[in-house]
Amino acid sequence: MTTAALIHVVVSGLATGSIYALMALSLVIVYNATRTLNFAQGEMLMVSTFVAWTCQRALGLPLVVALLAAVLAGGLLALVFERLVIRRAIGATHWDVLILTLGLSLILKAAAGIVWSHDEFPFPSFFSSRPIALGPVRVAPASLGIIGASLVLMLALAVLFRWTRLGRAMRAVAQNQRAARLMGISVERVHASAWVLAAVVGAIAGVLVAPVIFLSSKMGLVVINGFTAAVVGGFGSMPGAVLGGMLLGVLENLAPLYLPSGIRYSVPFLVLIAILLVRPAGLLGRVERRKV
Amino acid sequence: MRFVIRSLIAVVLLAAGPAAAQQGVSDTEIVLGGSNSFSGPLAFTGEQATKFGVDLYVKVVNDAGGINGRKVRTIFYDDGYRPQDSVANTRKLVEQDGIFAVIAPQGTPPVVATLDYLGQNKVPLLFPFQGSPIVRGHKYVFSGMTLYDRQSKMMIDYLVGPRKYKSFAAIYQDDEYGKAFLTSFEKDLARHNLKLVASEPIKRGATDVSAQVAKLQAAKPQVTFLVLTPGAGAQTLKERQKIGWNDTLMVSSGPLTDERYLALAGDAAEGVEGLSLWPDPLTSDLPGMKAYREAMQKYFPKNEVNRYSLSGYFAAMLFAEGAKRAGRGLNRENLITSLEGIKDWQSGILPAITIGGDHETQRQGFWVKVDKGRFQQLTEWLKSD
Amino acid sequence: MRVRVAVAVLAVALLLWPWVAPRYFVFLASLVFVNAVVAIGLNLLSGFTNQLSFGHAGFLAIGAYSAALITLHAPAVPVIVTLALAGIVTAVVGLAFGVPCLRLSGLYLAMATLAFGFVIVEAILNLDALTRGADGLSVPVARLGAWPLASDTARYYLALVVTAVLVAGAVNLTRSRVGRAFLAIRESEIAAQASGVPVALYKTLAFGVSAFYTGVAGGLFAFLVGFLSPDGFDVFLSVDFVVMIILGGLGSVPGSIAGAAVVTVLNDGLAAFQNYRPLVFGAILIACMLFMPGGITGAARALARRLTAPPGGRSCASSSAA
Repeated sequence: MTTAALIHVVVSGLATGSIYALMALSLVIVYNATRTLNFAQGEMLMVSTFVAWTCQRALGLPLVVALLAAVLAGGLLALVFERLVIRRAIGATHWDVLILTLGLSLILKAAAGIVWSHDEFPFPSFFSSRPIALGPVRVAPASLGIIGASLVLMLALAVLFRWTRLGRAMRAVAQNQRAARLMGISVERVHASAWVLAAVVGAIAGVLVAPVIFLSSKMGLVVINGFTAAVVGGFGSMPGAVLGGMLLGVLENLAPLYLPSGIRYSVPFLVLIAILLVRPAGLLGRVERRKV
Repeated sequence: MRFVIRSLIAVVLLAAGPAAAQQGVSDTEIVLGGSNSFSGPLAFTGEQATKFGVDLYVKVVNDAGGINGRKVRTIFYDDGYRPQDSVANTRKLVEQDGIFAVIAPQGTPPVVATLDYLGQNKVPLLFPFQGSPIVRGHKYVFSGMTLYDRQSKMMIDYLVGPRKYKSFAAIYQDDEYGKAFLTSFEKDLARHNLKLVASEPIKRGATDVSAQVAKLQAAKPQVTFLVLTPGAGAQTLKERQKIGWNDTLMVSSGPLTDERYLALAGDAAEGVEGLSLWPDPLTSDLPGMKAYREAMQKYFPKNEVNRYSLSGYFAAMLFAEGAKRAGRGLNRENLITSLEGIKDWQSGILPAITIGGDHETQRQGFWVKVDKGRFQQLTEWLKSD
Repeated sequence: MRVRVAVAVLAVALLLWPWVAPRYFVFLASLVFVNAVVAIGLNLLSGFTNQLSFGHAGFLAIGAYSAALITLHAPAVPVIVTLALAGIVTAVVGLAFGVPCLRLSGLYLAMATLAFGFVIVEAILNLDALTRGADGLSVPVARLGAWPLASDTARYYLALVVTAVLVAGAVNLTRSRVGRAFLAIRESEIAAQASGVPVALYKTLAFGVSAFYTGVAGGLFAFLVGFLSPDGFDVFLSVDFVVMIILGGLGSVPGSIAGAAVVTVLNDGLAAFQNYRPLVFGAILIACMLFMPGGITGAARALARRLTAPPGGRSCASSSAA
């Protein structure tokens, strides 16, 4: 294995890892604000990407407009579901909400199959498919593009959480919901915003990754990688989600190079278990100490 | 006490299911059915083979008056590729819905799970959409797709013989489809005193194949076999293009050689070769292929033609031929006999079909090469015996 | 009193079922029993000690393959012993997994069990010299002494007897000190620890018992279906089990049975919907959770409260959490 080939594999892994990171961020955003898991995060990403595809292919709109349509569709879907269903769940425990989002994921996947079929479709990329040569190393512009776009998005999220009112409100609710409400923050609005924001991140991730893994109703399965990445990084921590995602993407790509085929596919899960055994809170998570 | 008696009566009434038709053949209709994938990893091919494949031909046949005066009705249930669901569905079809025969179920585990049950109950299993040789040698089973060991033999004999290649590698899906091919490749190469120089598995649904392709490149094979699904196959071709690995010939297995994989791979598929199990669904001007396209245009104009619906269509066509020959007194035993008796039958789609006692209905394949985004035929139908 | 009569009627109905119902429904009822046992096992872990598991398909697989391999290589072993062994093997794995998981809670534990499920299935796929991997394993017919359980009726009664025993065991467990300790752990782990409940011991015990139940169910599953393949034990099956206990009601043994019955029968009834099936199932799930928070048990309790509320006044007891 030449060094050039190894670098190519690692860069490719970082690109996939960026998508896992974005997915992890979506999950963490919703979890932090509402303390619930959104099982349907992957399917929402998938539906948004299909909307983009329809705009681009059937309506002939340029890719940028299609991306915007994906973002709008995802946000709208999130808002509607959060308002109409999640909000209505009377006496909803976290388990109940889990089932609600599970139901949504089943509905979305089946609906996508009915509307667009379960076939796989090529998806246009923002980036050229001609590999760039950096010395002996060949890197795909798509990989670099995904990594770059994801970093920009993560930065934008960091700015949002640090310096905007909405971001601060979300962080307050994440820390202590009751205190936030007492301070005058509308917890309901924060919940809805979290759902919408997570869906927007998902939609962008979907449009970025669809050219690589192809658009299909199965795309939603990337949510499992997102969960794993978030837990490895420390669930609740956003830098953790990013670190976890990148690490997972690279490990997944390195495993086939060095490990026999019996073990290599279990690597992400073995890493997860190992990290949880050594550091139960994940790499960057904070161990919660509860005072009694 | 009355409460107890009333409850028992209620239980009995609830439990009495619908009276099941004896054999699935009545005065007016023949009932066929099957468990297939409408969700899960193979949902697309399952839907195409049944709703747009078997049902398409059934519509044609029913419109023409049916088979010996009987119309055909089909019932399909979803098993999501899970063997336990396929067992439950198949039992329901046989015991509750009273089907005459199972037609075109998909996937090796879901199909093999039902073999014992169908054999015990003497229900014909017709033309499953899978290629594992494990279905050989069952009295009530007729294979559909050209079985994987025949495909492997054709591919290796052609590449080692006329094309004179010597080093081979394989990238395969980590399930029974991929592993069956791998075993067959190794057996067939051994006959020529050769071995695979490298083989890399890929998990179904993998998002990145760069590591596996890099490893194969390092082994420098002259030919690399792709035993994958369209998505992974296209990803492999695109990856190869990215790293500029041009000095290997990529060859796709029978099930992979179809237009979907070309559409996904785009220009990365130029020059790729493969074993094609069917004529080109879009351009072939064989009479049966034209009829297939016309039927699709008539009944499902929005659905594009492809090899999955074609295989379901062909399955129904072959059933109809067997049932027609069995005559008005159709039953399971004489269906089997008449199918076994099919000799040199021209379907207008595949080369002349002869079945016989080994119950293999398809043995064909021919070589193709991708030129300007379509498969071009390079050879005549190859021999697999 | 009415409860006793209802239970007696149910018992008679269950005993008579194979004589009045078509074969397919006897088979389906056996599947309900298998799922009920898994659901009870899962509920003991997730509903009682609050350790949510998304990996129970892995335990089912271990039990199923164990039973199949024992019957294949040692056919003289009576089926009851085979099932018990399958349960024990699974319990050992469950304990081995449960101990390190003590440090984890909530979401992290759920993710660990999800990972466990994947790793187990992957291991089964790769140990193909033993399990026949991707090709799948045919399960020989179970034998009770010299008598092969080759008919649906025979297997139904086996499943019925095993399930009845395990249900009785679970009900006894929940009413015992152990069960109360489980509930105490669910309400507040810290308070339980402070009250002298050896939390770590009981949490690990819950893992072991849960795995045992699921392993036995796996053995029954193997004999019922007759064919095992790694494809059948995916994460969606684990999720199905979680749906059963949440729909049925966390922390309730009858709830687990009800949830298992509803999900099994619903899945079967919707098979004809083909590609609409997940859509309808998802919609039903959403409707159920919106209108029955706390699952079937919660709704049943609310209904019972309403039916027994004294006329003309609200009872103080009606405000306890479901």
